[in-house]
Amino acid sequence: MKDLLTKITGAATDNFGAQYAEARAQQIAKTMLTLKEERVEAAKQGIENGVAIRVLVNGAWGFASVGSLDAAILEGAVSDACRMAKLAGTRLKIPIKLAPAKAVEAHVVVKPKKDPAEVSVEDKIKTALTINKTILGFDGQIKSCGIDYADLMINSFFVNSEGAGIEQDKLYVWARVTASAQSNGAFTFSREEIGSTKGYELFDEQAPEEIGRTVAKRAVEQISAKSPKGGKFPVVLGPNVVGVFVHEAFGHLAEADLALSGGLLASNMGKKIGSNLVTFYDDGTMEGSFGAFKYDDEGVASQKTLLIKDGVVTGLMHNRDTAHKFNTAPTGNARAEDFRVEPIIRMRCTYMAPRDRTLEELLEGVKSGYYFKSFRGGQASLDGTFQVGIQEGYEIKNGEIGAPVRNASISGNTLETLHKVDSVGKDFHLDRVVVGRGRQLLSVMVDRT
Amino acid sequence: MAVLEKNTMLNLAENTVKAALRLGAAEAEAYVYDGQAVNIGVELGQISKTNRIIDRGIGVRLAANKAIGFAYTNIVNDQNAIETVVARALGAAKASKPDSDWNGLPQKKPYGATVGTFDEKIVALSPEDLVKVTSAMLDAAGGVDKRVFPIEGGVGSGCVSAAIANSSGVTGYDRGTIVECSLAALAKEGGAVTPICFEFNASRNYRLDPEWVGREAAKLAVSALRPKPVESKTAKVILTQFALQDLFAYTLMGAIKADSVQRNQSPFKGKIGEQVASENLTIYDDGLYPAGLRTSVFDGEGVPRQKTPIIEKGVLRNFIYDSYTANKESKESTGNASRAGYLSTPGIETTNFHIASGNKTTEQMFSEVGDGLIIYYLQGAHSSNPVSGEFSVVATPCWRIKDGEIAHSCRGVMLAGNIFDLLKNITVVGGNERQMGSMIAPWVIVENMRVIGK
Repeated sequence: MKDLLTKITGAATDNFGAQYAEARAQQIAKTMLTLKEERVEAAKQGIENGVAIRVLVNGAWGFASVGSLDAAILEGAVSDACRMAKLAGTRLKIPIKLAPAKAVEAHVVVKPKKDPAEVSVEDKIKTALTINKTILGFDGQIKSCGIDYADLMINSFFVNSEGAGIEQDKLYVWARVTASAQSNGAFTFSREEIGSTKGYELFDEQAPEEIGRTVAKRAVEQISAKSPKGGKFPVVLGPNVVGVFVHEAFGHLAEADLALSGGLLASNMGKKIGSNLVTFYDDGTMEGSFGAFKYDDEGVASQKTLLIKDGVVTGLMHNRDTAHKFNTAPTGNARAEDFRVEPIIRMRCTYMAPRDRTLEELLEGVKSGYYFKSFRGGQASLDGTFQVGIQEGYEIKNGEIGAPVRNASISGNTLETLHKVDSVGKDFHLDRVVVGRGRQLLSVMVDRT
Repeated sequence: MAVLEKNTMLNLAENTVKAALRLGAAEAEAYVYDGQAVNIGVELGQISKTNRIIDRGIGVRLAANKAIGFAYTNIVNDQNAIETVVARALGAAKASKPDSDWNGLPQKKPYGATVGTFDEKIVALSPEDLVKVTSAMLDAAGGVDKRVFPIEGGVGSGCVSAAIANSSGVTGYDRGTIVECSLAALAKEGGAVTPICFEFNASRNYRLDPEWVGREAAKLAVSALRPKPVESKTAKVILTQFALQDLFAYTLMGAIKADSVQRNQSPFKGKIGEQVASENLTIYDDGLYPAGLRTSVFDGEGVPRQKTPIIEKGVLRNFIYDSYTANKESKESTGNASRAGYLSTPGIETTNFHIASGNKTTEQMFSEVGDGLIIYYLQGAHSSNPVSGEFSVVATPCWRIKDGEIAHSCRGVMLAGNIFDLLKNITVVGGNERQMGSMIAPWVIVENMRVIGK
């Protein structure tokens, strides 16, 4: 494989005028399940392979994706990519240049305790059925539940024209569990995602029955919940909501390409934009976490990147292109979901550093407000407007958790909000979500209870 | 790689079905997909990237002992690869559980004709042509105002072909083209940045107006400068197609799926024939809409696409079905099984969700609102409660309407409510219909919208 890819990238630089070329061959094997209540809608298996080729010609990118490992087809694709890049570059005012990166040669293997490929499909169905049976048996008001399960093994080979050659395996195990409940005309919906890059031992660490109970309990509790009042309130955010807040409200602004696009952070480097309690990281090195990997899709080693320290903006997430524009080093954030797409700057595991308060201490100072424990979706805009939907929340009255509220959402401006962070708790947990940007879905971690 | 020929694709589908039956499947279906796309991309205001994607493969769904297995692969070059994917689908079926409601793959039914879904001119577009279109769009945006910054966007063309065969005699082949151009722009003034403003064209035929796209995105961005706060109140609002699509996609479109209804996830259950929306609202799901972005000859199971009345003058008429959910109610599928290429099993989705136009002009709608808001883009619609229809979203940006005219932009405005209440509060349906993703709709006026401002 290495020889074939080296030949392809060599053709780009030697014959078609590319300054830089890379090729990423991948073979992906997936097992998926869809269950609705106690019915297995389908057990699914997939195998695919393909190559992503990216070339830089006269400062513009050409990208080609083909679902084939055939040498003649790849040669055609690389010549076409170079021709198209040349064409795109004709009106370029600022040519793209790449920050230097070490040409790594490495072989990264995964060693799961329980390799999902060795677990039978029957056993995977059994686990999923256990979750659904737990949900359905939890309460008569539960009306439906569903599971989407997937495990995938990706074998990648990355080669570039600077001499890098990285073979890297990646393993993901993931499930999304949903439940709906209904009573007296009130409809509720609850969902939970779990995932790991370690292996199928995920279901030993989180028992299926426990996952089922969590989802079911939330759906049932929400039936009696009321709508929150609109307006400005002090809120205590549970780690799960903090995670998505950090991701949406701040993380996207710290993606260097978005910062360059007019986002708020480019002009705030080194400035204080939040309270002293605000420290955020984007970390690709937390073993087993969904955002963990050794090398990104430009062949740059992943790392733990400090974004904000004690309220001061200290770093952004870079690929080699933006690192050059900011005159800094790439951070290993260039990621592509598969060979169909080009790498773009994506978060890995973005989180807020914990401090010293207990939940009780956080609640103590709040006379009238809300405690938001679990999120359902979030989104942010370049001007710093963020929104996070809440699937589990409670009133706070005189420092005590009160009645549940449903379908709340929080919104505000990131810069204003970070200044108002008043105290930070010590609970720190990791969960995983799949987050979309553009047309790609990738795994990112958020912290949670 | 050239697009696969019709006969090659049909033969591949039919041979796969035969192989599956030979290897032990009781029933089998094969879906062959070939998708090719070229894109010219804009980043930081300039054309700086291109990409070409060729994606083809086969998805095999089969039943063995009433248990369903599915496998896909993009390795389709020889008989060996076909037998491998069939064996994997069989393995999955054998590991799975029998489904007593399974009533077989759909039977062959005559297909209707589609109009305007394939254009040789799109197939013939060269990357040079696409670069020219992109430049025209960027130039038009740049000519509007110095404060405008095009952020990202581009121009793309695509050609998709699909063939299907099953063991109940279904065979079908269809192909389609699409061309799109889009621009996301923002405006900067002093230290202030507007949210991203977006415009686009998308068409099955080669019909683009890149100058209009560039100009409109830029004009919207400029008009989003200098926002003023809005009071919290209950207001009349105009929802543009962007906002309607976002709100409906995560709520209403789910509630009309037979699967949601049968599984008690839809508040519409048992309400066929009842008034569920304002009399002004009529909605069809039309899989054969001429030149519709989601128009095709057959659905993901080879069932003919059709036009299905969903809501007529506010009265709920039908849900949308695939063959499995239709069998459960002894009904016919409405041809709404959808697939993500060869990678997925079919699932129920809307096709062209068509909200029938009224006759009000945009000027008449502004004056009808008098004092209220016009909402373009929403943030957070995907966090709506998909079962209850409750939403709580941010409008970024939106504009204040005063005395029947746009007065200024607003920031940080939240809208909250329930989609099923909102349907009853649609008082005016405009005449300015346009296609957007899976929706064909005009602007609408909604009364009693809960607006949360400063």
